Amino acid sequence: MRFDTIIIGGGLSGLVSAIECARAGQKTAVVSAGQSALHFWSGSFELLGQAGGETVIDRPLDSLDTLPENHPYRRIGSERLRTLLSKVPGMLSDAGLKSAGSLDRNHLRLTPLGFLKPAWLTLGDYVAFEAGKPLPWKKVALVNIYSYLDFYPRFLAYGLEKRGVECKMAAVNIPDLDTLRKSTTEMRATNMSRFLTDSAVDRLAAEVNKVAKGMDAVIMPAVLGIYSDAPVECLRKGVDVPVWFVPTTPASVPGVRCQLSLRDLFIRLGGEFLPGDIVKGGEFEKNRLRRVYTVNLGDMPLEGDNFIISTGSFFGHGLIADIERIYEPVFGLDLNVKGGRTEWYRKDFYAPQPYMEYGVTTDKEFRPSRKGETIENLYATGALLAGFNALKEGSGAGITLATALHVASRITG
Amino acid sequence: MKDAALKQEYDVIVIGGGATGAGTARDCAMRGLKTILIERLDFTAGATGRNHGLLHSGARYAHTDPESASECIKENMILKRIARHCIEETGGLFVSLPEDGLDYHAAFIQDCLKAGIPAEELDPKEAVRVEPSVNPEIIGAVKVPDGSVDPFRLTTANVMAARMNGADIMTYQEVTGFIKDGTRIVGVKLRSHRDGSETEVRGRVTINAAGIWGHRLAELAGVRLNMYPAKGSLLIFGHRINRMVLNRCRKPGDADILVPGDTICVIGTTSTRIPYDQIDNMEVNPEEVDLLLREGVKLSPAMAWTRILRAYAGVRPLVASDDDPTGRSISRGIVCIDHEKRDGVEGFITITGGKLMTYRLMAEEATDMACRKLGVDRKCQTASVPLPGSEDTDDDRKRKSHIIELSTEQKAAGDRHGSLTSKIVSDDDAADALVCECEQVSVGEVNYAIEELHVHNLVNLRRRTRLGMGTCQGELCACRGAGLLERHDKCTQRSLDDLASFLDERWHGMYPVCWGETLVEIQFTSWLYEGVCGLDPSEVKVTENPTQH
Repeated sequence: MRFDTIIIGGGLSGLVSAIECARAGQKTAVVSAGQSALHFWSGSFELLGQAGGETVIDRPLDSLDTLPENHPYRRIGSERLRTLLSKVPGMLSDAGLKSAGSLDRNHLRLTPLGFLKPAWLTLGDYVAFEAGKPLPWKKVALVNIYSYLDFYPRFLAYGLEKRGVECKMAAVNIPDLDTLRKSTTEMRATNMSRFLTDSAVDRLAAEVNKVAKGMDAVIMPAVLGIYSDAPVECLRKGVDVPVWFVPTTPASVPGVRCQLSLRDLFIRLGGEFLPGDIVKGGEFEKNRLRRVYTVNLGDMPLEGDNFIISTGSFFGHGLIADIERIYEPVFGLDLNVKGGRTEWYRKDFYAPQPYMEYGVTTDKEFRPSRKGETIENLYATGALLAGFNALKEGSGAGITLATALHVASRITG
Repeated sequence: MKDAALKQEYDVIVIGGGATGAGTARDCAMRGLKTILIERLDFTAGATGRNHGLLHSGARYAHTDPESASECIKENMILKRIARHCIEETGGLFVSLPEDGLDYHAAFIQDCLKAGIPAEELDPKEAVRVEPSVNPEIIGAVKVPDGSVDPFRLTTANVMAARMNGADIMTYQEVTGFIKDGTRIVGVKLRSHRDGSETEVRGRVTINAAGIWGHRLAELAGVRLNMYPAKGSLLIFGHRINRMVLNRCRKPGDADILVPGDTICVIGTTSTRIPYDQIDNMEVNPEEVDLLLREGVKLSPAMAWTRILRAYAGVRPLVASDDDPTGRSISRGIVCIDHEKRDGVEGFITITGGKLMTYRLMAEEATDMACRKLGVDRKCQTASVPLPGSEDTDDDRKRKSHIIELSTEQKAAGDRHGSLTSKIVSDDDAADALVCECEQVSVGEVNYAIEELHVHNLVNLRRRTRLGMGTCQGELCACRGAGLLERHDKCTQRSLDDLASFLDERWHGMYPVCWGETLVEIQFTSWLYEGVCGLDPSEVKVTENPTQH
């Protein structure tokens, strides 16, 4: 099979570059192994939340000079970064996802444990506050679903009450979830979202109304709307006060929703999505990658003019560590890893961990190399890249999206 | 509880919440003595919770230390009666590899039989058939009645037995000094590790059962003990490789025992003398990991491709013979010291040396001595009365005879709490919901542990229920556990600090083996808690030394 561009990895980065390539009329394929970091997504994209030890609120794009010179943001440059990232809300909207946020000023998202953290773009129905202002509510109801364990009303209340919001806590139940509850492991966010549709949502809304009287808002766990916005809209219509959502621990409903929506957009644009498949390796001619082979397709190669590798970090198995070394398993790409396993970590869990910065090294066009030789038609994007600690910077989604869009525009440009 | 403790004078104060201390408190209480058990941190926080969990048959010592060997086999049989729910009768093999030769093997069976240990020679091919995980190159094999024992469960059961017999229990209370009346010790001064408050408890006899920390206690009491900390490191694998305990049939050495227990198996140990000031620093270094793996795969080759969950280390309290201050003649046997006779300090006993296997016997010796001092003449019954959880109950019989159909999680809880499982509330689906999916710990079980088993934080909860001990190492259940604990504790900031500290504690066992899926898991955990949940040091206080829980 022949394609213009073949993307290895079906997470956020892979899907976004795939959408851009397909939109530009390229014959595009995505080989996706399965779950990605999107499956524990918070519902917010971060651009830059920490710089020089300070929380960044205003003008995150002007804080880039605190980052190392080789950082992907600095390689792209703030002007171009702005142009690229401006496309994201539109793309999400095309995929059916509402979002709100600004590149000039971070807002604050409410975490599942009740902390407020800077973010750039948050899904429309999720709690987000304007920074530097009092919270917009006086009284809220934190409404859980009875026996659901991954929503923490008391932690949320603790965080909100510190900021002057009075919190009432309640748990509601509807008979539609009884079957699920019979099994001891099924009351999880994504499972519940499959039951909370149609008339079940009306019943839920009626129960929520019983505890929502006199409240400025209701905050609920993100357990609705895995396939579409319809259940969320229905709940918001049925409840007398505004309803907002807080993300839960995995698997994340907004994460799965985002992944499915972007995948569907890619398929609508004519893209070829190969789910549940893994690229085993490829064949090179001189310094060009000609074709790759996958587990499912066996000896039938996927040939392409350009390739993008977006297989993620260790979590996505884009990098593999064994007792002696760390390597990139698809092509054996060059990495920035130095030293043996005792160099990979710090003993303090909360210290910046060196392994978090490991990844493939590239030229300024994000083309990786093998044994020092740059591969001319292979690009790397997202968490697979070397040289940043996205967790500490609060920059994971921004880097993922920016490098994907940057590379896609180079390929299609 | 604390106020009550202050008002009265106890017959016996037992210091140390390991198996020996808990066993001693149980024995004292069963003999009608008014007893209080005081632990610096949590039960099993010391050597008790940091070993193989091997129910020795005694075969390991048959050649080098026949006395220990016969103590072991006797206690082995007693524990099988009184602590059924803490024990798994897996059986064990002593195997000889080509490099070991058969010299040790030849004398081994005779030594075992002399010590009263049923040892049976197996043809190597037969051994591979009954235990397929063993290295197929073995040239000799002997079957012995080794098994596994859960030291957390065993200690908790002893604590509960002590409590049921009227003993008081205090955790997170460190002894900072002794109250003396002339040459007699009449009580202890305590400082709380939870809130820093200081109190005193009075007792007619004080028993030092603090393991390696007993050295320091003795100093506080003005007497000298010669203790030599020996650190042993171990690795936990993600599932059970072996069905039977595997031992190398040679002189005791590094990484020569692989014990299956619960959902995992453990290889160990190394043995290194460490300075006394390092006994609270139980870090496993890369050389120890390499050594354990290198030797371990010789015992069972599957270790090479099995995920390692964690590494941990404990300190053996080796004691020099009483009259030898140089420490040359070190014994692994039981040492019970009457400090009145030895040092002229009245009302003070030290029980130490020994091993997990002989904790009950140690408790018996210490209690006998306390009884003599108090002029009480009552017989020890700890060898015949089952521990709480190991009684033969109706429910238990039904469970075993499959009259009741049990779910996996009910079976898991049954394994952990024995006949006390009936105390776990399971009256609705919400109580049955699983908090920890790896180890099948339900909301009901967590609540039971919080209410009944002296749980103040997530590490306590882990030791009582196995929450967070499985393949995900607390990734998904830590948060849920914190949520449930907070409902009881009602201090939200403390719960958040505890959650953050628990993750750090899990990490400390993971970084020595941080490659493969363990690295994947920890990266996921970091992203989930620090990223998605925003749990970072700007928001929470992390307990500095993770072994200090």
